[in-house]
Amino acid sequence: MGKYILKRTVNSLITVIIVFIVVFMLLRLMPLSGYFPQEVLKETDEATRMSYLRNQGLLDHPLVQLWRFVKNLFHGDLGRSLTVYPQVPITTLLAEKIPVTAAFGFSSMVLGIILGLSLGLLMVRFKDKWGDRLGTGYILAVRAIPNLIYLFFIQVWISKWFGLPMVFYEDQPSSWILPVICLSLSSIAWYALWLRRFMVDEENRDYVKFALVKGLPKKEVWKKHIFKNAIIPLVVYLPSDLLNIIAGSLVIESLYAIPGTGGLLTTAIKSQDNNLVQVIVLMYAVTSVVGVFLGDLLVAAVDPRIKLTEEG
Amino acid sequence: MKRFVAMLLTLVMALSLTACGNSGEEEPGDVTQDQTPEEILNNADDIMNRDFEDVYKTYFSSSYASFNYFTTSYATVREIIANCIDGLVEPDIYGVYVPSLAESWTSNEDQTVWTFKIRQGLKWVDHTGAETEYELTAQDFVDGIRYIGDPLNGAYSLRVIRDLISGLYDYYWTLDDIDSGLITDQNREDVVASFDDMVGVRAVDEYTVEYTLESSAPYFLSLIESSMLLLPVEYDYAMELGADFAVDNEHMLYCGAYYVSDFQRDKAITLTANPHYWDKENVTIETVEYQMIPDGTTSLEMFERGEIDYTTVEAEAYLSLQDTEWADNLLPTSHSFSTNYLWLDFAGDNPEFNIFINNENFRKALQYGLNREAVASLREPVDPSRILRNTINAEGAIYDSNGVDYTDYSPLKEIKETDYNQPELARQYMEAAIEELCDEEGNIIGCEAGTVDYLPVCSFDVDGKLPVTICYVGTDDESEIIMAQLFKAMLEESIGAEYIDFQIQAYSGWTYGTVADPLNYDIYFDSLSTGYADPSGLLTRMTTDGAENVGCYEVPEFDALVEKALAADNFEDRLQYFAEAEAYLCEGAYLIPFISSLRGYYMSYSVPYTSPLTLYGNTKYKGTLVMDEPLTIDEYNTLTAAYELERAEALGANG
Repeated sequence: MGKYILKRTVNSLITVIIVFIVVFMLLRLMPLSGYFPQEVLKETDEATRMSYLRNQGLLDHPLVQLWRFVKNLFHGDLGRSLTVYPQVPITTLLAEKIPVTAAFGFSSMVLGIILGLSLGLLMVRFKDKWGDRLGTGYILAVRAIPNLIYLFFIQVWISKWFGLPMVFYEDQPSSWILPVICLSLSSIAWYALWLRRFMVDEENRDYVKFALVKGLPKKEVWKKHIFKNAIIPLVVYLPSDLLNIIAGSLVIESLYAIPGTGGLLTTAIKSQDNNLVQVIVLMYAVTSVVGVFLGDLLVAAVDPRIKLTEEG
Repeated sequence: MKRFVAMLLTLVMALSLTACGNSGEEEPGDVTQDQTPEEILNNADDIMNRDFEDVYKTYFSSSYASFNYFTTSYATVREIIANCIDGLVEPDIYGVYVPSLAESWTSNEDQTVWTFKIRQGLKWVDHTGAETEYELTAQDFVDGIRYIGDPLNGAYSLRVIRDLISGLYDYYWTLDDIDSGLITDQNREDVVASFDDMVGVRAVDEYTVEYTLESSAPYFLSLIESSMLLLPVEYDYAMELGADFAVDNEHMLYCGAYYVSDFQRDKAITLTANPHYWDKENVTIETVEYQMIPDGTTSLEMFERGEIDYTTVEAEAYLSLQDTEWADNLLPTSHSFSTNYLWLDFAGDNPEFNIFINNENFRKALQYGLNREAVASLREPVDPSRILRNTINAEGAIYDSNGVDYTDYSPLKEIKETDYNQPELARQYMEAAIEELCDEEGNIIGCEAGTVDYLPVCSFDVDGKLPVTICYVGTDDESEIIMAQLFKAMLEESIGAEYIDFQIQAYSGWTYGTVADPLNYDIYFDSLSTGYADPSGLLTRMTTDGAENVGCYEVPEFDALVEKALAADNFEDRLQYFAEAEAYLCEGAYLIPFISSLRGYYMSYSVPYTSPLTLYGNTKYKGTLVMDEPLTIDEYNTLTAAYELERAEALGANG
């Protein structure tokens, strides 16, 4: 096991380094005009723009810039935002934004798991009856209707009917309700859909039929065998949800004016904020790799059939 | 078929919107129409004698990147700074410049030296509103220029000020050449130490600052209003903080009517009245609360719920509110000095367009083929005519010393009043161009078939024959695509689809850097704004070598007129020559201005005409009165009529 963890850690580290270097170098291929807002481009001459870029170190050789970044990274300095929040330290930005997004992400993940699994159980319990149809209708609606339509409906009309705030206010707990619900809508559908599917699969397996024929109570078979085995494939995705928790949702954070990380990477790329992009990419790469790694470990821990090494 | 349907839909939409505009005539009229001046003033007094609120709740839609007013060019920052850092002068409610941090000022005869007497005993305050140890003196204004003059401080959007203040250009580039290694025989510290000798700004004494300019600048006071680069800074404080200066509210100092007491990035900003402000008796709102609301629909809904005191209302929302309780609260936005225009590419890769664009008849065909009112109705369905604009500089932006509007100078006045919606004339111009540029078989003389490379925007083949292929490039914004489809429909209709093939390319991305600058277009839509009270602000950038000559035309006649204007002895002559230059450019259709950027309506609890009339700067809340009910259109019309009467009297009294 220890050897496996070491091997995966080294592989993960190499993956992160490769991803980071490729992104870092690609960013340096972007046109220099992209560092300036459109209105500034029109108002400034090229010599002034080049002077600015040189003073920001953006005209140095990419390898020199890479070395500078790595050196500062080991001193805990992630640099400063270039264009999105000029001169604001990136550590300050992330320290402000990640907790907000993570709080919403974690709340919606918990809500999604609780409601999603409950709905999945309801669908299996009442398979081909009203509960199943209700769940299927919900899943279809969430997947088929463009999300902007129902998100907008919730924000305008549900907030009006229940007297809830239309946007997020830090000091109003009720302003959390709608964004958290909106964030969890699709994960509720996801958990319900897959739990139903895996439980129906398990229900039809020979060992279940054998257990029932042997006279084990149906409730016990459901609880100890069907549900337990069906939940295992879902567990593997839990750690990878870490990325979603940190990355946030562009649409929902924008709709509810949540000052989180949702859309930060997109904005940074569009504004060619190299410093911000490279830090976010590094952060996402590490989180993804760790998430997948933890997922593998978790599934091995909960499923005795899975061995991570040949020796076991 | 799809193309035809799209065109048809676009036309129907534009025409229906224009029809909506015409129906506006049947709406209830202005209540002040049948009132005497006395009645108007009495009614206005009734409104002004109500009780007013001391909190104003508004919103912002895009991030506040940083508060560093020297390095941040973002428009959103300007509004905060306009309320938190005072300049030397400010406009009063009629737009006349009155003392602000300067108690008085003088200029020499040719307006190249401006001297300001600063108020005494003022101190900078911090983000808690407490006075700091730092006194505000003339040196702070000198240091503002010192800050932007050093390239290492990162103020890159400084062209106008750098070129205007004597010696600043040389100071800046000397330091830059040292930094880049081009100059090796001078020491950076020595050059920095020579600032006072090199640059035309100095503290004559503790409370007197003097600017020496490279050329006559009768518009200098308007530049103080519009440019954040002429604001003061406490230099020691800024240098101590280095790159952290003004990255948030806690890392800056304030000398305006408000300080930023709370700042949550991308979420909320609170301005609190500065208790040590020099003019605190005229600060009527105690707290201005901003919150982030990213879209107009949410802001409208929140306004209707009473959660905010102001919202913009776009054209579509305006129509939907007509039959609601809010119909009486819809107020027209007042002005925009930003002009929308079509750039024409004189140096692109399209051989067909290249040959035609250098022909004046073809350019005029484009100019007269646009139904500007139909385009305007996409943004202003009620009264599209109020946003039509044929000139580059906006009407109402620049006045001479006799109060005559710059756009009323001949021959610009004729351009301003021309009705360019003349499709028959457009076709005649096109036929004249074809006569000069094509043979009888419709082959464009001297034009080879080939592939036009406008990558990464697009690439297409041309055959060197009529119809002339025109590549219009705009953004993929929905409203811009509709506008582009309207251009296509109306130009192909008026000029003739057998003569032009108008192709639309909707480009997503960095349009200036990828489309305009590398000339990857034939026609391109953009806007420019009159930034201060002088035509030079725009026109000197549009000369053959000017930074704003995106189309790369060469018009020596225009260049000569601009030069003549800059060398004029007095302001009236200057405006006359500029008017001739601008008219020459517009008359020759080297670019085609067509509407202003004014859009939509608004609803508000604030009383108009109670705050400074900031034509070139941003909204100031000082003096603004906030009602407990939204303002109605009748109240707005009454206040507007009263304001006009009082303004005429005040300006008349002032000469």
